[in-house]
Amino acid sequence: MILILAIILPIVTGVLLPVMRLKARARNLYMMVCTLLTSVLVAIALTGDFTQLELISLNKKLSISLHLDDLGKVFSAVIALLWPLTLLYALSYMKDAVNQTSFFTFFQMSYGVTLGIAMSANLLTLYIFYELMTLSTLPLVLHSGSAKSVKAGLKYLYYSLGGSAFAFIGLVYLVYFGGGTDFLPGGLFVGVGSQHTVQLQLGYLLCFLGFGVKAAIFPVHGWLPTAAVAPTPVTALLHAVAVVKSGVFAIIRVTYFSFGTSVLEGSYAQYVSLALSAFTIVFGSAMALKERHLKRRLAYSTVANLSYILFGALLMIAQGLYAGLMHLVFHALMKITLFLVVGVFNRRAHAYYIEDVRGIAKALPVLAVVFVIGSLAMTGIPPLIGFVSKWSLAEAAILSGGLLPLLGVSALLISAVLTGIYLIVPAVTMYTRPPVIPAPQKVESGFYVTLLVLSAMIIALSFYSAPLLDFLYQTALGAI
Amino acid sequence: MEGLLLLVAILLPAIGSLMVVFMPWLNERREERCFFVGVIMVLECIVVLLIALDAERTLVLFEMTKQLPIALRSDGTSRVFSAVMALMWTISGFYSFSYMKHEQNEKSYYAFYLMTLASLMALTLSGTMVTMYLFFEMMTFISMPMVLHSRTKEAVAAGIKYLIYSVAGATMGLLGIFMLTPNIASPYFVEGGSLLVEQLNLPHTAFQVILLVTLIGFGTKAGMFPMHGWLPTAHPVAPSPASAVLSGVITKAGVLCIFRMIFYVIGPDYLRGTWVQWTLLSCATITVFMGSMLALREKVLKKRLAYSSVSQVSYVLCGVFILDTMALDGALLQMVFHALTKDALFLCAGAIILQAGVTRVDEMHNLGKSMPWTMWMFTICAISLVGIPPLGGFIAKWYIAEGALITSTPVFSWLVPVVLLISAMLTAAYLLPPSVSSFFGGMAQGEAAAIAYEKKDPPLMMMIPITILTLAILLLGIFPGFMIEVFTSLANTLF
Amino acid sequence: MSLVHNFPFISILLCMSAGIFTSVFKPRVARMVTFLVTGTVLVLSAMALSLTMSLDDSYPYMMGHFPAPWGNEIRIGRLEALMATGFSAVLLVSLIPGFERMPGFVSEKKSNLYCIMVDLALAAVLVLIYTNDLFTVYVFIEIMTIASCALVAVRQNGHTLVAITRYMIMHLFGSGLLLLGISMLYGITGHLLMVPLSEAVRQIVDSGQYLGPLTVVIALITAALAIKSAMFPFHVWAPDTYAFAPPLSSAILSGIISKAYIFVMVKFFYRVIGMDIIISQQISPFLFVCGVAGMIIGSVIAISQRDIRRMIAYSSVAQIGYIYMGLGMGSAAGTEAAMFQMLAHAAVKSLLFLATYELINVSGDRKRFRYLHGAGYRNIPAGIVFTVAAMSMVGIPFTGGFIVKLNLAIAGMAFGGWMRALVLVALAVSTLLNGIYFLHTVVSIYRKPAQDMVYPPSEKMSPSAAGALFVSMLYILYLGIGSEPIMRLIETGLKTFS
Repeated sequence: MILILAIILPIVTGVLLPVMRLKARARNLYMMVCTLLTSVLVAIALTGDFTQLELISLNKKLSISLHLDDLGKVFSAVIALLWPLTLLYALSYMKDAVNQTSFFTFFQMSYGVTLGIAMSANLLTLYIFYELMTLSTLPLVLHSGSAKSVKAGLKYLYYSLGGSAFAFIGLVYLVYFGGGTDFLPGGLFVGVGSQHTVQLQLGYLLCFLGFGVKAAIFPVHGWLPTAAVAPTPVTALLHAVAVVKSGVFAIIRVTYFSFGTSVLEGSYAQYVSLALSAFTIVFGSAMALKERHLKRRLAYSTVANLSYILFGALLMIAQGLYAGLMHLVFHALMKITLFLVVGVFNRRAHAYYIEDVRGIAKALPVLAVVFVIGSLAMTGIPPLIGFVSKWSLAEAAILSGGLLPLLGVSALLISAVLTGIYLIVPAVTMYTRPPVIPAPQKVESGFYVTLLVLSAMIIALSFYSAPLLDFLYQTALGAI
Repeated sequence: MEGLLLLVAILLPAIGSLMVVFMPWLNERREERCFFVGVIMVLECIVVLLIALDAERTLVLFEMTKQLPIALRSDGTSRVFSAVMALMWTISGFYSFSYMKHEQNEKSYYAFYLMTLASLMALTLSGTMVTMYLFFEMMTFISMPMVLHSRTKEAVAAGIKYLIYSVAGATMGLLGIFMLTPNIASPYFVEGGSLLVEQLNLPHTAFQVILLVTLIGFGTKAGMFPMHGWLPTAHPVAPSPASAVLSGVITKAGVLCIFRMIFYVIGPDYLRGTWVQWTLLSCATITVFMGSMLALREKVLKKRLAYSSVSQVSYVLCGVFILDTMALDGALLQMVFHALTKDALFLCAGAIILQAGVTRVDEMHNLGKSMPWTMWMFTICAISLVGIPPLGGFIAKWYIAEGALITSTPVFSWLVPVVLLISAMLTAAYLLPPSVSSFFGGMAQGEAAAIAYEKKDPPLMMMIPITILTLAILLLGIFPGFMIEVFTSLANTLF
Repeated sequence: MSLVHNFPFISILLCMSAGIFTSVFKPRVARMVTFLVTGTVLVLSAMALSLTMSLDDSYPYMMGHFPAPWGNEIRIGRLEALMATGFSAVLLVSLIPGFERMPGFVSEKKSNLYCIMVDLALAAVLVLIYTNDLFTVYVFIEIMTIASCALVAVRQNGHTLVAITRYMIMHLFGSGLLLLGISMLYGITGHLLMVPLSEAVRQIVDSGQYLGPLTVVIALITAALAIKSAMFPFHVWAPDTYAFAPPLSSAILSGIISKAYIFVMVKFFYRVIGMDIIISQQISPFLFVCGVAGMIIGSVIAISQRDIRRMIAYSSVAQIGYIYMGLGMGSAAGTEAAMFQMLAHAAVKSLLFLATYELINVSGDRKRFRYLHGAGYRNIPAGIVFTVAAMSMVGIPFTGGFIVKLNLAIAGMAFGGWMRALVLVALAVSTLLNGIYFLHTVVSIYRKPAQDMVYPPSEKMSPSAAGALFVSMLYILYLGIGSEPIMRLIETGLKTFS
């Protein structure tokens, strides 16, 4: 019951927003309250144990159902934690923007939809929420109405549709061969065996490429850097946390809970997907280095980092999934911090390019420190959190043996070096070069609060992450 | 709590650094600040000496994950390295009290100076590979601001180059750490290595390739070919006392990491006789030769000294890579003497720049007349660097060469001494002429322009450190017994 | 035989008489009558549907006192009743907004002519659904063709006249083929009623005699119906006709009438010839390929359109392609999926045409895309309805279109190799293509218009029209969520169809 409530609440409150015609203050309060309420609901849901809740039955094999297992709990927790923080940030960011009502409506609705993805009990439900996510996030990308944002939005739309079309084929394969789309640990074919293994692997590959659009795998990653044109709260939350992590989440579900490692391990499907993710790791990092626009640079960095998660998950062993989940959580935190900092640079200092942030540490010291923390964490400098996830990924890769995982480790390390260059060098120039842009406007406290909380979380997790890691490990074991 | 002293060794300079940054009362007058920094450094030396005399202690700081403890341990190597580094650091620190009067931004300089010392101590006292990597990276980041201290475009570019090379090198090292972790008996450093050779989960060739990459990666800090590119750019551009410690001390951190990896993780027996050893020896010998050649061509004094560092540190590495007791002795001796010598040379160079405005070797005519003390120190150090007895540099090179000769390493057993000899000649060629010309030079060029400078010896605060170093070189060169004893006993535990 | 048994016949009779009497009514009364008749037909069909659900098999119904084969007979089963209900519902809901906008297209004098044509078209549709003999089929196909022509031609402008001419040429050609085919079939079998016909066809197939002519007959009739239902590549008449007709006519033509032709084809295949022969004579692979081609090419051309109405018209071609792909698979699952699409598309297409007209109306009556920016804000209900209909076209879950895709895909999975791959790839590509032009349009109607765009004030949409559009939208959503019972009906209905 709580599950459906947690999903419906933000959607309904979002839809009601334009109807209610609130003034700015009241609207902000309303948004904050509704978001916090939803997060509280999710927190309650995390503590409980749930049986599957069937909402609608399409036919005897297909239904729309909700369920919160360990994996879903991880994802929901991340979302529920980061959404209110981003909302706080967004309220300051969008202060003088036009069309705030429609922005917050879809922002709120997307929250519910993302929770729906996390709480899906079968692939059909996930697919439905996935499509709805495309539709609910599209207006956010289009928000400014400029020609550039319309182009970016349409690109996002077409890519996503193409991806869902292929994922749909994979879904049909699952229905046909597996008799349903439920998520079961180990997949639908465990113990049963199937003479259609090759077919299933093909279906999996289609699902992988289809959901891989949102997970920004090469070659279907193109929409992500273009979508950086959206307002920063959108890019930060959606394109660094909600949308892209949904893509990764969907792939993890499909790999472990639908098709299952017994079907996929050692198959060409695994090799192709591993190769693609390893390539994306290096490709994304290299493109980030080339890119001079700050947000697009971070977008390419996201492309690479998502493939870290996928790489771990695709190793098809518990340690791999464990490492991938670790990076899912940590990267969400680190990337959102970076995006939000850059957002303040964009909005209040009109600094959009690498060259613009030179010397900005004088005028905005706290923000520069936050950027440095985020950069060090992303590069994987110990003892910050990025290092532990990279380490675990490498460990898992070595454990699984084989040529491809080893190539993956090299890709990881090359990417780490590139990350160092494309993130830390700008961080250094913030301190060492004379400032390029004139003094920034006043930075509201809402920005500072959000960023400081996020930085504190990064540092705290760096030193004390044992309970979290234990839970992730347990989740990973449970999935095999 | 066991090992508390280890933590103090790290925290003392760290806290001192933070106090310099955040306490306004310290910064009102620079004399107070210098006094404070001086006290911290002296205390640090005392702590380090206490550690050296104490028994071996271990302290676990925290656990990143269950399998990755971050721990400190004061074994033989730690004690040697930490003692050397702390002493060098203090001496250069005192020099800088006087030197930095002429530079900007002293507060940040001292803050990073102390913080780098803290990270260096932590690096030397590391007890596991991951701890070492952690502090290695940290040290890179903390030392970088010293490189780009003057904030000129050149300095910033050099700092960034340093950063990129170091991160790349550290990452290469990390690859090795990844590969080794499942294949060793204990995450802690074990004398003689703890590699489980029979149970390697990789084919040997792949493993060896990775080892090579790792060691070359760690060699970046030490300026070994092929990762030497940053050194000649970064060392000269920093303020002289910083160049001194960069060349004299921080390069040794790179050596330390290689040392640890070979003798405490992999084990010298595994590497001896393999193509990995030969490749490493080739890189080291190439560097020795190349560094000297480039130093000869270089006219800017500090750059010449930087290239010289490239070459000299690779002497140490040559000694290490021979994988024999005597050569290792030589390597450690060379490490100490090079630290002392290069430190002193850079400090002299700093004095020359400050007092005479001279940056190039062809402008050093007649300097000996106006700055006798400085130039005498310079000459003594130069002689030591060349390796002329009875100065310290000779013993070190002798041990390395002999150590190479008595092993059965093909080719390198004679090649190393030959290269050492050639390099010695080149060193003489690039260090002695400026020295000589400063005493016996003819008409000084640009003398008119130099009138603005008060060409005399620098103030005491700068002279005393240089003198102490030079004296140490002299004395330790004549009476090397104590050091040799310590190093030999250390080397024996490792084979 | 209860009263309800007679309802199908009564509904046909009602429509035809209404058509005749409407000629003397005043325009307002005529519209009211048409509306009432459609409503009554809906109720009657629904009750007939519930009757058939309680019966095991479809039942024949004698018209007049003479039993077959001397008298005429119709047959009523679940599938037929379902189709009748579905189509009449769609018609009913379309009439409300359609009639409201009628004055813009049709002069008052001609509007009762229009209503007559609507009645006749409905009657023809019902007859074609229920009929059990080929002669009736031919007659009422002709009636339907003429009625459709009139529905379009009533709006007299240049575009329409050109479209109508093309329409007439192709449809009359199709009718000719149909007549030829039926005559030949009569020639080789001696029957026109479907039941004896099917026995005769069996005999021909078993004996092997006249197999050639039989194949020709099948080809002729199939081609005729394909032309009339705008299957690729015979669709050429459709885009202009649908685009330039009054919105209600486009809705009726593309939504209902084209489906009736296909239903006749299905009836012909299942009841007269038998699907096994259709498959063995390579008819169904041909339909399959044309269906797939239509799906893709229709959408590709739609992308390049500048006029929104033509875009929707080409999208009709694509959607008809879905039906033919399903039918062309030759399996029961494929035909069921095609039937579902027939029901769904009827609703969605009519909704689209009507909503589009509303959006055009508030944009100064201009059809090109850049004038439509911001239309979604000027007419909020029409915008929302258009968005939902577009989502159904693309196949977003929760709408009927998704279920269509799902059914077609699962039906395609049962085959191996190239057919399965073709089905899945075609569905995937078609989804993407549909998304490109439909969702792009949705984005356009919610964009801010250019600064200098001036929109003349326009007549607001009445609440009843908005309500009707909403009901349609709810129906589409219902099809997306609660399609299970409908699919059951189709499945069992198809079993008793032949």
